Amino acid sequence: MTEQAVETVGQRLHPLTPFVKGWGYFVVAAVALVNNEGLRSNLTFAGIGLGAVLVGGILLGALSWWYTKWQLTGDAIRVDSGFLFRRTRIIRFDRIQAIDVAQPFVARLFGMAELRMDVAGGGKSDGKLSYFTYAEAQELRTTLLVRAKGEQAAEQQEHEQQAEAEAPPLLTVPTARLLGATLLSSTVIGSAGALIWLIVATTVLNFHVGLFAGLPLLLGVVQPIWKQVVGNHGFTLSDTSHGLRTKRGLFDVQRQTIPAGRVQGLLITEPLIWRLIGWSRVELDIAGVAGQKEDGDDEHEGAQLLPVGERTEVAYVLSRVLPGFNLANIQMHVAPERAKWLRPIGWRYLTYGVDDQVMVTTRGWVSRRTSIVLHHKTQSVRMEQGPLQRRLGLADVHVDTPMGPTDAVALHRDQVEAAALVQAQAERAREARRTVSAPVAVQTQPNAPSPDGSSSSAASPADDSSDR
Amino acid sequence: MDDLFAPSDVSWTPVSPKLATLRRLNAAIMAGLAAIVALLALGLSLGWLYGVLAVVVIALLFGWAWILIGRNQRSWRYAEREDELLVSHGIMFRELVVVPYGRMQFVDVKAGPLERAYGMATVELHTATPSTDAKIPGLHPDEAGRLRDRLSALGQAQAWGL
Repeated sequence: MTEQAVETVGQRLHPLTPFVKGWGYFVVAAVALVNNEGLRSNLTFAGIGLGAVLVGGILLGALSWWYTKWQLTGDAIRVDSGFLFRRTRIIRFDRIQAIDVAQPFVARLFGMAELRMDVAGGGKSDGKLSYFTYAEAQELRTTLLVRAKGEQAAEQQEHEQQAEAEAPPLLTVPTARLLGATLLSSTVIGSAGALIWLIVATTVLNFHVGLFAGLPLLLGVVQPIWKQVVGNHGFTLSDTSHGLRTKRGLFDVQRQTIPAGRVQGLLITEPLIWRLIGWSRVELDIAGVAGQKEDGDDEHEGAQLLPVGERTEVAYVLSRVLPGFNLANIQMHVAPERAKWLRPIGWRYLTYGVDDQVMVTTRGWVSRRTSIVLHHKTQSVRMEQGPLQRRLGLADVHVDTPMGPTDAVALHRDQVEAAALVQAQAERAREARRTVSAPVAVQTQPNAPSPDGSSSSAASPADDSSDR
Repeated sequence: MDDLFAPSDVSWTPVSPKLATLRRLNAAIMAGLAAIVALLALGLSLGWLYGVLAVVVIALLFGWAWILIGRNQRSWRYAEREDELLVSHGIMFRELVVVPYGRMQFVDVKAGPLERAYGMATVELHTATPSTDAKIPGLHPDEAGRLRDRLSALGQAQAWGL
């Protein structure tokens, strides 16, 4: 124990760290003291209590800060912390997947930032180091990148950083549109309608429905507005050497890079009312993002490419992600009319279309969903048919992509067409894998067990995933 | 019409007929338990006539299940194409899955106690998507082992990053 304490060298974090980390506790303590009946009657006692909590908190925070030191060793970053229970964490550079500089709300007020190191298999807080001044954090990030990925990669990142700072955003979503779009979404309209009915029913008609039912409804109105307007405030899309980069958020600024090679599929959603105005939302499936913790709550939502945008913007964004792709140029095939027995209204909107790099499917007449999947990212192709569909000679074709919002399914196609589509889609996926793999193909192993001496493509498994 | 779910350009391998025997045995156990519970519950509460009626209904359902299981077993088949594994199954709800070997994340070979007693195993291919449903039940353990080795060899040779 003692020798460890002696040997810990290294640097301390920013002296304001305990205050930035602990402000929440102070607020809670203050609120608790103020709200306590017994204490409120005795103001001196409350004052002393609050003071004691403050002093104690600052003292504890300061101790923790004093005993937390970080240093860079030959192949790892080492963090020593704790004053009663000492803890040493060593993160090897080659285990660091990505390094981000994040600025939570309070830290941003003080111009401070924390360093977040993504460690494969690690939890959310495992690689956090807070707080530094913003400049310090950036500098340390660069140093770590150099150590972790070599000079070249780091330089690239550096350029990216500069480019990010300089490059004008490709597009920005105005807050007014975010607010409008949220107000016109079906959750909000539905909840608001129900809430108004509830208020009218209770006050005017003297129904005693119970105002408690209003709480979830109120939540239904407020929560989406909060999430959209605060979470997506100032949504900016910009171009960097590593791919597109999104930036959003009012309090917690979130940045996300979308490397071009890792997009698995796209989903365009157009709710009923948005469609009249010409708005839609674009989301992405990105390999590794679905399960990753970018910032807590958005875990399985993939990435947002555009929270709400006009048609021209949607087309522009799509062309950035998929060069040479234009949704309008794709010949869409509508489902056969007998599908109306299963989808009386929606069958008209069940379409699919294919070009040489993607397959597009649409469905839904209230909320239109357009899924775009890349041929060379296809995981598997499935054809399904239920008893009713068999009567009508219809079948569904699913094109599966990894976890994410995209859900490409050509519903209720003619079964002969569906069977042909499955074969064609498997063929296209195979061809796309070959052509895309051609320049980087690595012969890993002869394909010995193939029955007919196949010439199947061999590609490095780390092909796309290596560039992170 | 049937070949829509089983394209004829590949040779299809059926699964073991013992799969039907196994499933029928499973169904028999379930039906037997259900029959006893129904007979006792209805017999003691409403009268033995109802209990016996319930048992007759369960027996009829079991008979139906017997036939369905047979048909379902005959519908299971798989094929190994140059680059993909194809699995086709189902009579009421038909499904054809095409999985490229290179998309494989891992292969499972499973065998429960009853399956082991009948000398059978299930091979399941997993990709990065949970919705990929490439499962082949009712394989001889040797065949399951061969398939597993072949799939993992091919999966490695053609492996593809996400």
